[in-house]
Amino acid sequence: MAGNFWQSSHHQQWLLDKQDLIRERKHDLSILSEEEYQKIFIFFSSVIQTLGEQLKLRQQVIATATVYFKRFYARNSLKCIDPLLLAPTCIFLASKVEEFGVISNSRLISTCQTVIKNKFNYAYLQEFPYRTNHILECEFYLLENLDCCLIVYQPYRPLLQLVQDIGHEEQLLTLAWRVVNDSLRTDVSLLYPPYQIAIGCLQIACVILQKDQKAWFAELNVDIEKIQEIARYIINLFELWKTYDEKKEIQGLLSKMPKPKPAQQR
Amino acid sequence: MMENKLRKYEKIEFLGEGQFATVFKARDIDTGDIVAVKKIKIGSRQEAQDGINRTALREIKLLQELHHTNLIGLLDAFGHMSNVSLVFDFMDTDLEIIIKDNTIILSTANIKSYMLQTLQGLEYLHSNWILHRDLKPNNLLVNAAGILKIGDFGLAKLYGSPSRLMTHQVVTRWYRAPELLFGAKQYGVCIDMWAVGCILAELLLRVPLFPGESDLDQLTKIFGVLGNPTEETWPGMKSLVDYIEFKSFIPIPLKNIFTAAGDDLLNLLEDILVLNPLKRKNCMECLQMKFFSNKPAATLGSKLPLPRNIQKIRESERTSLKRKLVDAADGGILSKRLLF
Repeated sequence: MAGNFWQSSHHQQWLLDKQDLIRERKHDLSILSEEEYQKIFIFFSSVIQTLGEQLKLRQQVIATATVYFKRFYARNSLKCIDPLLLAPTCIFLASKVEEFGVISNSRLISTCQTVIKNKFNYAYLQEFPYRTNHILECEFYLLENLDCCLIVYQPYRPLLQLVQDIGHEEQLLTLAWRVVNDSLRTDVSLLYPPYQIAIGCLQIACVILQKDQKAWFAELNVDIEKIQEIARYIINLFELWKTYDEKKEIQGLLSKMPKPKPAQQR
Repeated sequence: MMENKLRKYEKIEFLGEGQFATVFKARDIDTGDIVAVKKIKIGSRQEAQDGINRTALREIKLLQELHHTNLIGLLDAFGHMSNVSLVFDFMDTDLEIIIKDNTIILSTANIKSYMLQTLQGLEYLHSNWILHRDLKPNNLLVNAAGILKIGDFGLAKLYGSPSRLMTHQVVTRWYRAPELLFGAKQYGVCIDMWAVGCILAELLLRVPLFPGESDLDQLTKIFGVLGNPTEETWPGMKSLVDYIEFKSFIPIPLKNIFTAAGDDLLNLLEDILVLNPLKRKNCMECLQMKFFSNKPAATLGSKLPLPRNIQKIRESERTSLKRKLVDAADGGILSKRLLF
């Protein structure tokens, strides 16, 4: 949204503290290691990304859905709602909020079925188990746990402005854009404002492309320590990816993950 | 979790029913505050499949970000599945009721107060890149303290993206700007300003200025007062998709219609009711006009006239407060209070 970021619910209510996250995740982290926890979130970010691409959504909608997903579990244990149900629900809500038009529920469910079957069969042996009414019920829990804060600011727009300021560099923009997409697999969207994330991602892109923009970065009026923290999160992600084979490990992680109690028979 | 909230509000009375929602007056059981609960109607089965109603979602997402005295406050939202209720500040009346109430006298100072509050709320909205798209007297809510708040954000939308087309089927017809009637799909604050102009005119006339019976009749009524636009006064008008030629009208000077209005007020009206949307004044420009700095000063909220039934409420609340104090002295209510 164009509006005013500084007065937004994103800035006022949803920039969390690292300590908050540690406290809220205490339960889950008594079962999973921090790295295992992160791997589960990497997996579901990919699920949301793939679903979104399959539904031909704009990246903005996909990013918003991912942030909803992360915000929900920033307050709740993984056992509250199965992330496999929450992921499509976040897409469903985000596409309405971003005025992308309603995705019909039947199309969403059938997309979930094909995506799980064709792209994530290494994680799930059974077919996608949820139906329309599950998503509709879940949508309300999501809305409530977001405290009705639906507008999420993303780093994409500030990134465009920053790259424009550096001078038109197509290659730099493309790479930095992809780093922003990658950043959705870390906690930065919960901890830092989007303009800082954009700068952090831009810095990483410059390093990868070996572009010397030190003078430009030096002129920015920004807390450089925060930028380094963001870059550290993303570099850690890249490090993790080097040795991590999701296809081999994810099944084990998903079975270890805390789960909702099976619904009581009525 | 959600079900518990249903019991958080105690229904007091039915307030009204619109196309999309039913509104109740209710009491927040925890705080005792009086609120308005807007229960969104579930449409067809097909719509129920779409989950939380999009109109409600629009109100939730925008009002959660907006905080201004002259905009309605969203206090809470609850529900289950497709069944959504939104909780708002309770407002006693609205401008439509006030305009239609013949026992109320709307002096220049009173009109100035309503316009000032409307423009200030709208200015804040526009500066946040949001268009209301459904301004009409019925959506300008007024409470017993004389505070006006813009309500009903079900059609509100972010604007300013040059690539995004928007629907021209917005705003209740009588308040719909000429460019919308000609089918414009890209527009800005000017459409809200036109509606403000129509509302100002209605505050003076006590009946709508352009009560069109169809979209064509609407344009006829507008041109009947303001005269036909030309390629000179409104360049580009003919390229609008629904543009059609109208028979020729001779404009009527506004001072012949609004005989009681002063020059400063007429100037304001003339600068808002401009056919060419790009020449129409925006909120900031209007607020800087002489009308608002000239005497008489805008009436204080607490001094604004209210419909009789609300005056009664105002008084009865005063007496009941007195009774409460007496009771409290006896320890009756006070001891109950201590339970919290």
